[in-house]
Amino acid sequence: MLYLSQILNSKIKDSSDKTIGRLKDISVKSKAGAYAPLDFLIVKGKRRKEYVIPYEFVENLSKEEITLKSLFKSIPNESLPESHAYLNRDVLDQQIVDLEGARVVRVNDLKLGLFEDRMSVLGIDISNKGLLRRLGLERFDFLDLLKVSFIDWRKAQPIKGILKLDTMSKDLTKLHPADLANIVEDLSLKQGSKLVRTLDAEMAAKVFEEIEPAVKKILVSYLGPEKASQIVEKMSADEIADLLQSLPREERDRFLSLLQNGKLKKVERLIKYRKDTAGGLMNMDYMSAGQDWTVAHTLDEIRRVYPSMRSVLYVYVIGKREVLKGTVSLRRLISAKSNVKLKDIMKRMQKRAVIRPNQSIEDIVSVMTKYNLYTAAVVDEKNTMIGMVAIDDVMRCLAPKA
Amino acid sequence: MRKIFKKFWFKLILIFGVIGPGIIAANADNDAGGITTYSAVGAHYGLKMLWVLLLVTVSLAITQEMGVRIGLVTRQGLGGVIRENFGVRWTSFAMLLMFVANIGTVTAEFAGVAAAFSIIGVSKYIAVPLAALAVWFILYKGSFKTTQKIFLVFSAFYIVYIINGFIVRPDFNAALVSLVTPTIEWTTPFLLTMIALIGTTITPWGQFFIQSYVVDKGLDIKHYKLEKAEVFFGAFLTDLVSFFIIISTAATLYKYGIDITDAKDAAVALRPLAGNLAQFLFAFGLFAASMLGAFILPTATAYSLCEAFGWESGFNTTWRTGRTFYIIILLSIFIPAAFVLIPKLPLVKIMIWSQDINGILLPFILIFVMKIINNKRIMGEYVNKPVGNVIAWLTIFGIIGATVALVVTSSLGMN
Repeated sequence: MLYLSQILNSKIKDSSDKTIGRLKDISVKSKAGAYAPLDFLIVKGKRRKEYVIPYEFVENLSKEEITLKSLFKSIPNESLPESHAYLNRDVLDQQIVDLEGARVVRVNDLKLGLFEDRMSVLGIDISNKGLLRRLGLERFDFLDLLKVSFIDWRKAQPIKGILKLDTMSKDLTKLHPADLANIVEDLSLKQGSKLVRTLDAEMAAKVFEEIEPAVKKILVSYLGPEKASQIVEKMSADEIADLLQSLPREERDRFLSLLQNGKLKKVERLIKYRKDTAGGLMNMDYMSAGQDWTVAHTLDEIRRVYPSMRSVLYVYVIGKREVLKGTVSLRRLISAKSNVKLKDIMKRMQKRAVIRPNQSIEDIVSVMTKYNLYTAAVVDEKNTMIGMVAIDDVMRCLAPKA
Repeated sequence: MRKIFKKFWFKLILIFGVIGPGIIAANADNDAGGITTYSAVGAHYGLKMLWVLLLVTVSLAITQEMGVRIGLVTRQGLGGVIRENFGVRWTSFAMLLMFVANIGTVTAEFAGVAAAFSIIGVSKYIAVPLAALAVWFILYKGSFKTTQKIFLVFSAFYIVYIINGFIVRPDFNAALVSLVTPTIEWTTPFLLTMIALIGTTITPWGQFFIQSYVVDKGLDIKHYKLEKAEVFFGAFLTDLVSFFIIISTAATLYKYGIDITDAKDAAVALRPLAGNLAQFLFAFGLFAASMLGAFILPTATAYSLCEAFGWESGFNTTWRTGRTFYIIILLSIFIPAAFVLIPKLPLVKIMIWSQDINGILLPFILIFVMKIINNKRIMGEYVNKPVGNVIAWLTIFGIIGATVALVVTSSLGMN
């Protein structure tokens, strides 16, 4: 088994057995989801001169020695390829994302080995044994109490070299947005923003919604106005309102000016309410329908608009001037005959089973618990429906750390 | 009633929202070791060391500001930055120094608890184990942040030293002259006290703490100017308190030639203000200050170590995944607590010596900070200006020089 720490700083000899310098770094060409073959050795020679040696010229790479196939003079001196990731500089000791564990870990060492006849980086050692090896104290663990644990290189996403590796691992986008959000929070902000930048706007928006407000606020300025507004545009109105509330005035106005008309109105309405009240928590992506709609028509409507809705558990039946008349659960809707009108199957609006915009989180919880609601309608004094609080909004407010 | 209560808390939180890392870190500097060291400085050497305090205030402001800046630019704790730029060996070295210094400081905190309770006649064999358990229990189960705030409010107790400082009618002229008149005695006790004075004001853990605080609070480089002002103000504020502790003890204990061998002696300095209650007031202040440190330090130690070595951290991790994190916290609470239980331990000396350890190890941590803050690749346009470099290097070499002098005087037996 060969580790990077065992060969860094080793002497390198050419075919005439002449020492040309010591190994300083190794560059790899990395593709997402594949082992990374070694590409160039970076050698520090006499008088701090650096040489770049293509890996084809390496005869033997082992703990004991590094030798080259030909004379040093005959090797063309190439310049450092900037687009590559460097194992010592960009990966070793840095943080990486462990895609399977959905967590951020530090690279203690790298395991090298042959894969399809090419010397490649196979695994990332994150164990304490790796730490001991780096310290040169491995022999103290003669009872072998510490176990080595690896992350498969293909299942990891280096962060520092992320722009250089440019292809983002597909596995990363397969993670749940909430897990990705935790990872972004765990990384330093510089690296976290790099990670967000590599996601497409749609995914980034989903991740963004899950990030802690304090971190979110700074991320916006780290991402720069262009990328940030692309992401903000894709977020839901209530999340945008929450975010904008925490930003200084000029920035808020700039983001508002970028929003489309429909969303802008929603955000402007939400932004008025305090964060810890129903008005601040509610969102506007709820399914509303007229009293005279038939079940079939309603279901068609749901099919049409569902992509923009986070959840459709109830259909809110609205009368004149947006006044809430009643609710129909999805279960009721599916089981009803298709030509029945909503007003005949709806549960009539009850004064106590709705929420007022200025009610506190405790009030919301007690209403939702008492009436077994997953989403609750928010209405004003004239019973006009102005929004909906979903259980996940409440949970996030109660357990902000999760 | 509940609403009024809620409003009260809301306001309290607002107040602490304004008080930033600079003031909190500086305030936590006046812990058990701090109070005791400053008391000893005044009691044993009168106003002679005030010039050191003035210099240390400038150094504290400069070094803490550097910590803030590194935090704002790298968005990482000092442990992480050291690891990413110096590799495993240097990181282990730096972390070992920090760990030793922090264990020393926690020992001082529990010695402070023991000393505080000895004043009111409670045995340390009861007080210290209970305090250690309380710290662990609150950290593990309760709210660290709320507790931290409560003890911060308690530590406003230092204001009594400022009031007291006026009541004793000290010679302010002489004090101001001493601030700018370097006096040094080439004796072991003088140098020991001087290094403790430096080491209790600028601490290795303070350097780690302020940087993590900036990162955790999500402060941004936009706030840099404000943060800088706040850090400078915090340094001034903490040393203003130190100044008054020193002149209070100088005007009372030093005048009558009383050495501090016991916490009771140090309490005498508060007699002009509190009369017979001085003992209780001092005991309370010392207890609050000790507990604040006992809460912050084990947690700060564990977070820094975990960040540097990539172990999972945080009180929301389970025992299985966060084992190392919890073990570090447990060790750094219970080893010092157990140590303090050794019979006949000279508590005051322990508190001062632990600050010496901090002072002696500090330059090495500061060298890492200097290497980082002058690295253009890490700091970009925010590298140090020459003034900051000069002051920081003078601090580093000043402490190293004092340490060398200490070794020389003690080996020559210059007591």
